Amino acid sequence: MPQGETPRLLGQPVALLIYKDFARYDAAKRKIRLDDSVVRYGAVTGPKPPPHYGAARYVRVEGPTQDARDEFSALEDAVILGGFAGDKVVWPAADARAGGMGKGMAMAAVIDEEIASAGDDALVLKRDYFSQSIDASAMEADNGNVWYDPAAQVLHAVLATQSPHEVATNAAALVTQSKFSLKAVDLKAGYTVGYGTKDKVIFPYFCVIAGLYGDGLPVRLANDRFEQFQMGMKRHAFWIKDTLVVDRKTHRFRVMKAELKADGGGRANLSFAVGIVGTTAAQSIYYLPKSDLSIAVLASRAVEAGSTRGFGTLQTMAATEMLVDEAAAALETDAIDLRLANVFRSGMKNTQGAVPAGALRNDEMLRKAKTHPLWAGRETRKANYDATHPGRSYGVGFAQVQKNYGSGAEAAVVTLELDRDGRLTMRHAAHEMGPGVTTSQAVIVARILGRAPDRMSYGVVEWPEMPLTSTELPFTTSQATEDELQRNPRWTPTFVSPMATSNSAYYFGHATREAALVLLRYGIWPAARALWSRGGGKIAPDMNGPEDLRVANGKIIAGDLEPLQLSALAAKAHELGAVTGACVHAFNRREWAEAEFDLPGAGRVGLPVDALAVKYGDGAAPALKALMRVGGFHFIERATVRYPPVQRLNAGVTRYAPMATLVELAVNIATGEVELLSHHSLLDCGPQIVPSLVSGQIQGGVAMGIGHALHEFLPLYEDGPGDGTWNWNRYQLPRASDVATWTQTAEVLQPLSDSDTPKGIAEVTMIAVVPAIANAVHHAIGKRFYEFPITPEKIRSALS
Amino acid sequence: MSIATKPLSLTVNGRDTGPIDVPDGMMMLDFLNEYLNLTGARLGCGIGGCHACTIILDLPDGRSEEVRTCITGAHSFAGKRIRTVEAHAERDAQGNPVKLSPVQQAFIEHFAFQCGYCTSGFVTGATVLMERLKREPVARKDLERTITEALDRHICRCTGYVRYYEAVREAILATPGLVES
Repeated sequence: MPQGETPRLLGQPVALLIYKDFARYDAAKRKIRLDDSVVRYGAVTGPKPPPHYGAARYVRVEGPTQDARDEFSALEDAVILGGFAGDKVVWPAADARAGGMGKGMAMAAVIDEEIASAGDDALVLKRDYFSQSIDASAMEADNGNVWYDPAAQVLHAVLATQSPHEVATNAAALVTQSKFSLKAVDLKAGYTVGYGTKDKVIFPYFCVIAGLYGDGLPVRLANDRFEQFQMGMKRHAFWIKDTLVVDRKTHRFRVMKAELKADGGGRANLSFAVGIVGTTAAQSIYYLPKSDLSIAVLASRAVEAGSTRGFGTLQTMAATEMLVDEAAAALETDAIDLRLANVFRSGMKNTQGAVPAGALRNDEMLRKAKTHPLWAGRETRKANYDATHPGRSYGVGFAQVQKNYGSGAEAAVVTLELDRDGRLTMRHAAHEMGPGVTTSQAVIVARILGRAPDRMSYGVVEWPEMPLTSTELPFTTSQATEDELQRNPRWTPTFVSPMATSNSAYYFGHATREAALVLLRYGIWPAARALWSRGGGKIAPDMNGPEDLRVANGKIIAGDLEPLQLSALAAKAHELGAVTGACVHAFNRREWAEAEFDLPGAGRVGLPVDALAVKYGDGAAPALKALMRVGGFHFIERATVRYPPVQRLNAGVTRYAPMATLVELAVNIATGEVELLSHHSLLDCGPQIVPSLVSGQIQGGVAMGIGHALHEFLPLYEDGPGDGTWNWNRYQLPRASDVATWTQTAEVLQPLSDSDTPKGIAEVTMIAVVPAIANAVHHAIGKRFYEFPITPEKIRSALS
Repeated sequence: MSIATKPLSLTVNGRDTGPIDVPDGMMMLDFLNEYLNLTGARLGCGIGGCHACTIILDLPDGRSEEVRTCITGAHSFAGKRIRTVEAHAERDAQGNPVKLSPVQQAFIEHFAFQCGYCTSGFVTGATVLMERLKREPVARKDLERTITEALDRHICRCTGYVRYYEAVREAILATPGLVES
């Protein structure tokens, strides 16, 4: 911090001290830790947070039929954006005759009137909820090693980040504007972990600055746990005011209104996006004929909040699932029956007016949960347990949620190469954050080509074979501008997504699959055809083409033809000069961009990617080889491209993965402590790429949700983590004994077909358990809690 | 400012190590990471709460103990024998690992860990548990409880513990003599 200025947020570092030997660093650190006198302060100026981050409102009123145009929706009309007068949101004026936001505000007024005038035939339930700020507590704190080589003017870095490409690009921009000369950034993204908190985080740039001032020595900058609490990115605290109007006779939801407020802390991050995603998730798994969902994302002096696991949806869906449980009790109906009466089914429109992609299996999961012994036998089990466990009270709770995965701009880039001996090399933009992308992407390749890559590089930031340019403004570029930009066949809306565990299976997996399929169709297939036609033999007449190829026992097969080893196919593909390397770039804005390419020997081919480069085998004609001049590849400028229209961004979210969790717990009446006895989850993740990894995500997500529901809490301001005194002694993470380690179960739904696509699930797994615990505590002791975490103190207070 | 040091000698992974001049107040974790380049033990909390930093202390009577190195000074290990996670796998004459320990192998086969940051602590804790059960076998009906009691102090933020615990149970059951029939 420059002298005389006030930090915008609590926990702001004031200086980086660089030591040249570890012993002195270690001694100094111990001396100044927790010593308030080390930093001397000037005049008290009061907090100076930045402007608030944004306000948005999604209003929808359905049309006369399901297929008719909505009276109003974000997708077909407008997202309503608000401004601020102080901390108060100022929405546009209502104007029913105008289009756009004015009409939306008029519709919001109609919804307000319907709530106010609801008669005795309706249940109107209004509840306030609070979801706390938490620390993601990745065991590996923010860290990096940077060496600025002044002679070569190269910045070498090994950084813990979810966004290696973005960090490399920004680091170059940062250093270029400094007094240090820069010719190259050499970034290695180490395997790390973050649950979202190592994306769009400032720490890697502190590492870069430290490296620049290392006097030619490599510098390591690493937070200890106190420092990580003090400045590591947090989950947003949400204040939620929900209103639900339910028809008492049909039990159908008529209206839902949600007024949300989130605290993004003092450094602009993804807070507004988190707010929007949380808002559009507030409907949980229900169809709402009328909805008015709004969010104000405020700046404050709190430690920065950002893209922590759940991305705002944990907060809003947990509230809705508690609200629906309470509504069922008020209506004296089974809570799963009430859900079934309102469940969001395939073909229905979400609260943004968009019909989600893919089949929705929420009703199937609800029916499974309803017949599960934990739910069906809950009253008998409670009676038995309570009778045999004096002082303890048994409860079962349920919740089901659906989490979007992916944003309106997902991109991935992958290169696969096949050498003469059948060895595969993969270079991938994805990198490992723990959930197993390095395994899953290899498995995707093996299922298509019969062999996992022999050599793999992840977190790759240098892509000479994919020379795309990007404006990197995929959310704000107008359609007219994008139409103009896409005339350049080397332009793409964004080059690569940050690494998030919910985008690896579907989004990164798509690019991996497409690269493997290019090799299969244009390299393996011609080679197989040649081998199967050897000696004048004829390929089976009913072989249509590469779509007939399958993998079995590590070999390529088709019909009743001789199984072929990849090594034999690779040698033949090289001899023929067929495609032996493929680099694809894919872009998704709620659907995949598609392009056509004039591929030598194959004609014009259409692919769900927006850029393609290929490599030809050793035996290729000189003219073909001469085309391989871009990073050793032939970059084939697309002949045509279709990017999904910009309007699709208003859909908010369209791809969902659902998860349900049943919780069985016991409350100690004297101490207020909650013991999880068991839990059972249901998940639809599409086809499982690696089942062991899927179950790991379920188990880990549920544990994190248990922490949110029962244990974890951070005050936001002066007594919170920014004061530098927080660690895992004060902040209680769930341990094995807290999560029903030995008694938990889960069922993963069978995919609908063998061409079903894998869904992103690493976020949804942690959400349903949170409201399920609150609902189970109510079942146990008859008290509802509206603020997380539900601590023993709160339970004791409620029971006293 | 001068930093007071004194010589430290101990046995690390079967090798006599030292004397090395080590500052008086330095924690064992820093000594391992920065002086011996043994980086398998990790700094998690620095206050002894998460057990990502643990190593094995081999006692003269043949028993082994798990020790937190982030809160234990390096000099308190003077003259003692320790094992870090780097020493669990079998190695060939050149020092290359050739066979994982039963705990490590079980963790791999069960996809037990995700980010891996806490893994060396879990390997350490599970290994100490198995060494204890070799001396003091447990009844089968008490096995799950025994595992939980032994490893509950280890924090993992990714996995929810299930696959770690299932792997440890399998490793114990596959090793003769650890569970009473």
